[in-house]
Amino acid sequence: MIKLEAIIQPSRFESVKDALCEIGIEGMTVTEVRGHGRQKGHTEVYRGREYTVDLLPKIKLELVLPDKMVDKAVDTILKTAKTGKIGDGKIFLTRVDDAIRIRNEERGENALQ
Amino acid sequence: MSFAARLGLDHSRDPKRQASQRPVRAMQGAVTPPLQSMTKLVPEVEAERRRIREAFDAGASARETLGALCALADGAIRQVFAELQSVRNTETQGLSLMALGGYGRQLLFPYSDLDILILSAGDKVERDFRPLLAEFSKTLWDLGFRVSSAGRTLEECKRIEQDNAEFHLALLDRRFLTGDRELFERFDVKVLPGPERQARPFLTAEIRKLTRERLARYGNTIFHLEPNVKESPGGLRDYQAAAWLRQVSGEKREFWNSTATEEEMASGAVDFLSAIRCFLHYSNERNDNTLTYELQAKAAERTLGLPRTALLDAPRSAADWMRVYFRQARTLNRQLLRYMEQKTLVQQSLRQRIFNVARLPKIESVEGQPFAIRDGLIELLDQTALADRAVLYSLFATAAKTGVPLSREAERTIAYVLLHPELPVRNEQVTWPAFQEILGTDFPGVALRPMQRLGLLTKILPEFAAIDSLVVRDFYHRYTVDEHTLRTIEHLQELAQPPDARGTNYAGLWKSVDRRDLLILSLLLHDVGKGMLIENHVAGSLQALDSAAAELKLSADEKAEVQFLIERHLEMSATVQRRDIFDPTTISAFASMVRTPEKLQRLCLLTYADIHAVNPEALTPWKAEMLWQLFVATSNHFSRTLDRDRLHALDELPVLQQVRKLTGAAGTESIERFLEGFPRRYLAVHSAEDIAGHFGLYQRLDAAPVQIDLVATQHAYSLTLLTADRPALFATIAGVLAGWGMNIHQADAFANAAGVILDTFTFTDLHRTLELNPSEVDRFCKSLVDVVCGHAPLEPLIKGRLAASRQRPPKVEVPTRITFDDTSSMHSTLLEIVTQDHPGLLHEIGSALARLGCNIEVALVDTEGQKAIDVFYLTSQGKKLAAQKQETLRELLQGTLG
Repeated sequence: MIKLEAIIQPSRFESVKDALCEIGIEGMTVTEVRGHGRQKGHTEVYRGREYTVDLLPKIKLELVLPDKMVDKAVDTILKTAKTGKIGDGKIFLTRVDDAIRIRNEERGENALQ
Repeated sequence: MSFAARLGLDHSRDPKRQASQRPVRAMQGAVTPPLQSMTKLVPEVEAERRRIREAFDAGASARETLGALCALADGAIRQVFAELQSVRNTETQGLSLMALGGYGRQLLFPYSDLDILILSAGDKVERDFRPLLAEFSKTLWDLGFRVSSAGRTLEECKRIEQDNAEFHLALLDRRFLTGDRELFERFDVKVLPGPERQARPFLTAEIRKLTRERLARYGNTIFHLEPNVKESPGGLRDYQAAAWLRQVSGEKREFWNSTATEEEMASGAVDFLSAIRCFLHYSNERNDNTLTYELQAKAAERTLGLPRTALLDAPRSAADWMRVYFRQARTLNRQLLRYMEQKTLVQQSLRQRIFNVARLPKIESVEGQPFAIRDGLIELLDQTALADRAVLYSLFATAAKTGVPLSREAERTIAYVLLHPELPVRNEQVTWPAFQEILGTDFPGVALRPMQRLGLLTKILPEFAAIDSLVVRDFYHRYTVDEHTLRTIEHLQELAQPPDARGTNYAGLWKSVDRRDLLILSLLLHDVGKGMLIENHVAGSLQALDSAAAELKLSADEKAEVQFLIERHLEMSATVQRRDIFDPTTISAFASMVRTPEKLQRLCLLTYADIHAVNPEALTPWKAEMLWQLFVATSNHFSRTLDRDRLHALDELPVLQQVRKLTGAAGTESIERFLEGFPRRYLAVHSAEDIAGHFGLYQRLDAAPVQIDLVATQHAYSLTLLTADRPALFATIAGVLAGWGMNIHQADAFANAAGVILDTFTFTDLHRTLELNPSEVDRFCKSLVDVVCGHAPLEPLIKGRLAASRQRPPKVEVPTRITFDDTSSMHSTLLEIVTQDHPGLLHEIGSALARLGCNIEVALVDTEGQKAIDVFYLTSQGKKLAAQKQETLRELLQGTLG
């Protein structure tokens, strides 16, 4: 099993979510986050006050997937989250030892379904 | 929290406690009954429980059901206790069992705990009976009763346990069960009344504290989509807390002062909620009091809780049945809140009364009105005056202006007067200006909330009735639609002092936003469509607006503004979540949809409030920041792109036709010449009527080279001046206004393609010169024309005035910030100045610009408290300002403004 973490533009979230649903991935954890990579902050001045956004708003998706689904999920996210501009985000993959469904204590890939 | 836990009882020592968590049937197999009769008693109790449930399902009332459950428990307790005594051959002298809390009141719900107090005459008795009591408790658990017992000696009961108010409150409902009756009577009549009397102030304070905490946990509203019928505001706990307050006041009628009708309504509400609670317990097979969507539908289907006489007309849909629920919950909640507001629930000693006279709350009368503000609440002084509904609405307007809420007693009196109009009613029809007096204030929610409770809001806006107590199922909303709506308004009024960081940026916006009345009206109507049989709720809300606008007689412009806000109320939120708000194309498209900064401000506040009112967590700091970024970027887009988008009159045929119709002009050619080349903002901020007025001035330019129109508005004056362009024109007009002691709040300066200048100024008359001396209006206008035409000098007019005004120190220091921007406009250099506002400021800036030969193509002038925010589009000899000139201008302005 692989844990997939994707940091994406908030504006792409709905499309990414819908595309993942279409390939059969419905469970995910979504968090509103802030951060930046090469895309640095942004400053606006309004009525004499500077509003600096050092950390830009992003959406973090977290999914744990069976190995066989990982490539498909990554491709889907790449296709739907990409705008070609700096700030499109990143995908991180890490191996997961086990998963346990709390309700019935099922383990492994069965717990993911 | 269970009664036992509240009392600090440790059930982990009870060997049966854990076993008891298992279903009764499983336990029967595992445990040998300790008494011979148990083999007979277990099936009897089971059968009786089944019978009670079947009777309830067949239509028995809640009172019958609760009474039967109580009788079953009483009988079982007495029988088990008696048999244990006979088995152990003990006497019950010195030991008494009593029921407490809900069980004491004989309101025992199917899966509720049996709260029992075991009272012993002394420590020895308690020690002697310990084995019997352990057996007793275990046997009752085996019979399927959830026993929650506490033990006290008589001596212990004489002390008030300050950290255990719940115990003393439960004791208020004590009822003898079994054991030593004489001991109980001694306890009930001789021992307890003394400490209880002494503890009244403590108990009153505790009831209030516990109630406030409980109500706050549920957002202080009865209108939850899935309410808890016991704990939510309006739930059975409200009734209980009210009953306790009455008990600790010694049942003094003057303290609770309820009419027979109110008592009857409260009793009906208790029956209704009790029926629901029984139903929930039976449906969930546990002590779960949440009225879920699923169970709402089932309860509605069986018309649960409604009197049999009303069944023919009974609502069958879940939404309608829930409206009945909220009506009943409101009765209980209203009663509790009224009791909570009573100041003197506890009898005071003579000394206390004398001492308190010196601290009587200050009464502030409201001039000429039959109400006063006492102790932070509006109280009614003369209820007969309410026959004049204008007086009634002025009371609400006072609440909305001051933020001081009505007392519950005043609200109750109003409810009575509305139901029993003993005097002829006058001024029943509410006009739009009277409603505006409420909507356009700092605290509209303070008035609208009680108006909704009293049915007055639906009198003014009958469309609102569609969402009254309306449950709409979704994953995000926590409250009924009307509650959500009122919360949006309350979240805006909170911005006067934002309760957390999410509101900080929006506070200034709320303070300065124009036409709050329209914003609040939009909020009242934005979700009304959810209560209509129409798929798209926005379309429904717009239909509601049509009828409301006709009834209230809104002007076409006012209606259009509200229509825009309702139609687009989801747009800003959608843009934040689904578009890249850091992309200039997104901002540009969004700005095109919004059209003006004024609309943007209102839409932003509406969106902020709408998200915030969904549930307490919906407006995350992340979302609040994103929304603000979109607002700032769009706002800046407006001020930076003003001269990019110019009017081409032939593209505006509908406006041309409207203006032609209004002015009676023969053709549209001269109107085209007038409009050609103005910034598009001109059309966005002026109605067809305004434009027709301006065109009228334009037509008179041949007769006199400077045309003026001065209009007094509610709090200010609006001046429109039309003339051919000339050097230092803006500075000159601003100078004349300053010379006359006028304080400019807003100004626009536009030029058309033919070089005709249209300047509008909004100013306040600081010394009330024009108001107190009507003849001065003509002199003021003449002075303005003379100075602009060069027939009179400006200097003598402004000399002494500006020097005097400069001497007054500002209340808030605003540092000067001067910014140039050469990139936003193709033709002009943008100059933005943020500085301390003071009389004559615009004249100073305009003079500096004129001195350096800068031509003002467009000007936007605004103020926010003592902060002036001015944007000028400047050219010099038809081009952008050179870098050197910008630097010189910066130095000059910095030197002038400080």
